[in-house]
Amino acid sequence: MFESQMILTRGFQNVYENGQPIGFQILLKTAYYRGVFLDIIGPIEITVDGAKYSGDQLRLTVDGRTFTLEEAGRTENVHWDFGTAMIVTVLTPGGLKPGIHEVTVTQGVNPSYVPPNVFRATGHKRMTLVM
Amino acid sequence: MTKVTRRELLVGTSAVALSASLPGQIFPAAGGGTAGKIKRGVTFYSYQEEYYKHEVGVEDCFAEVASMGATGVQLIAEEMVPNYPNPPQPWVDNWQAMMAKYKTEPTNLDTFVDVYVGGHRTMSTEEAAETLIGQIRLANRLGFKVVRPTTGPVEQPATEMIERALPMAEKYDVRIAPEVHAPIPLDGKYINSYLELIHKTSTKHMGFTVDCGIFCLRVPRVFIAYHTRHGAQKRVTDYVSKAFEDGASHDQIVAAVQKMDPSPADLQCARGSLGYGPVTNKPQDLARLMPYIYNIHGKFYEMTDELSEYSIAYEEIIPVLEKIGYEHSIDSEYEGQRWTQDAVPTDSFEQVRRQHVMLRRLFGEI
Repeated sequence: MFESQMILTRGFQNVYENGQPIGFQILLKTAYYRGVFLDIIGPIEITVDGAKYSGDQLRLTVDGRTFTLEEAGRTENVHWDFGTAMIVTVLTPGGLKPGIHEVTVTQGVNPSYVPPNVFRATGHKRMTLVM
Repeated sequence: MTKVTRRELLVGTSAVALSASLPGQIFPAAGGGTAGKIKRGVTFYSYQEEYYKHEVGVEDCFAEVASMGATGVQLIAEEMVPNYPNPPQPWVDNWQAMMAKYKTEPTNLDTFVDVYVGGHRTMSTEEAAETLIGQIRLANRLGFKVVRPTTGPVEQPATEMIERALPMAEKYDVRIAPEVHAPIPLDGKYINSYLELIHKTSTKHMGFTVDCGIFCLRVPRVFIAYHTRHGAQKRVTDYVSKAFEDGASHDQIVAAVQKMDPSPADLQCARGSLGYGPVTNKPQDLARLMPYIYNIHGKFYEMTDELSEYSIAYEEIIPVLEKIGYEHSIDSEYEGQRWTQDAVPTDSFEQVRRQHVMLRRLFGEI
């Protein structure tokens, strides 16, 4: 569901600390038909131009609060609403170069009525980073 | 109307038979008949894609329901309720105001009790019941008289959780109506466990939500076309379609496809067939669930140009519902978009409208 719509073009940018790019961020909507509390979110993997990012390299920002994936797994009271984008920050020193990038995102959702590791959605978008 | 048999409906004569039975004037003047006692409604789930894209908001959905002369409004709480499960009071006030403005009624609040907490831990029965009670309170705030909690595996009843929540269901006058969803058989453990609970407690606050996807007589062709676009082979999809129609079990279908040198899409197609039927379910088997059916999900995947559902014989279901005295709402639940959105733009509103013309026809209103 929503594979072709879950990655947003707007907001695609590098993240800077002390003037240096420490990574980049992507706005991501759920691919599932409802919002979920963060503990229901499964693995997230981001690939840009062939380079893969996952696990400890990712931070999720929902409602202005930022979580590692491990912290998200223990967070049962913050809700990622349906149709509302979260910010996924990928920590990779140097960030991405300005220009067009091939971005692929796989996201998992683990509702209890579905067997583990079944709901996984992969979306792809070619989109441009300015700075 | 011309009697269309189950088999004829499925072998392609349906278009001719149904159009022959349609009156020339499909849309009568306002104030047309309201023969049946079954009410028409819509779950806003049907409009998920337009809502997701922020093309419409909740009020647009209310207005659309009203424009079809439908009255039932159903909601997936975690799809559209802000700050779930505790929406701000102004939002609740607006929700009630929309109900009054559009002359609609809340039918069923669909909720999830994620008992496995995303695989991180398992809720105790007590905690699951407390979660459900929170959802009952939300239903009460929004005016819903029915709540549908989905818990663990689809075919596994949650009798202990529901029994614990019954006193609060009675207090708030909200019926707990777990869903009878594909691939649940109407004569199996799921139904029997809940009927036993109803009889044991004599409660009037527990019953069923029935999803018409349990009456699929064939897998949706939009489902097959999706998998074909993604690499499924014709020899496999033909097999899955035919085996399903012939009543092969899900395990049989998956096992057979595994021996067919399958592509990933072939396997996904075989496994996904679990989401429909089984064909052994017959509408008349709903009689033993009466009077405990409190809501019906008018599940559909594709309304054809002949204003008929491709996989589900509503032409059989509606007369049975009338015969067994069902008098609550049947709420359109469009789910075809997930099989078409990769290829063509979605128009949920058009699809739901087609189903409502079908319902009016089957109710004898037009």
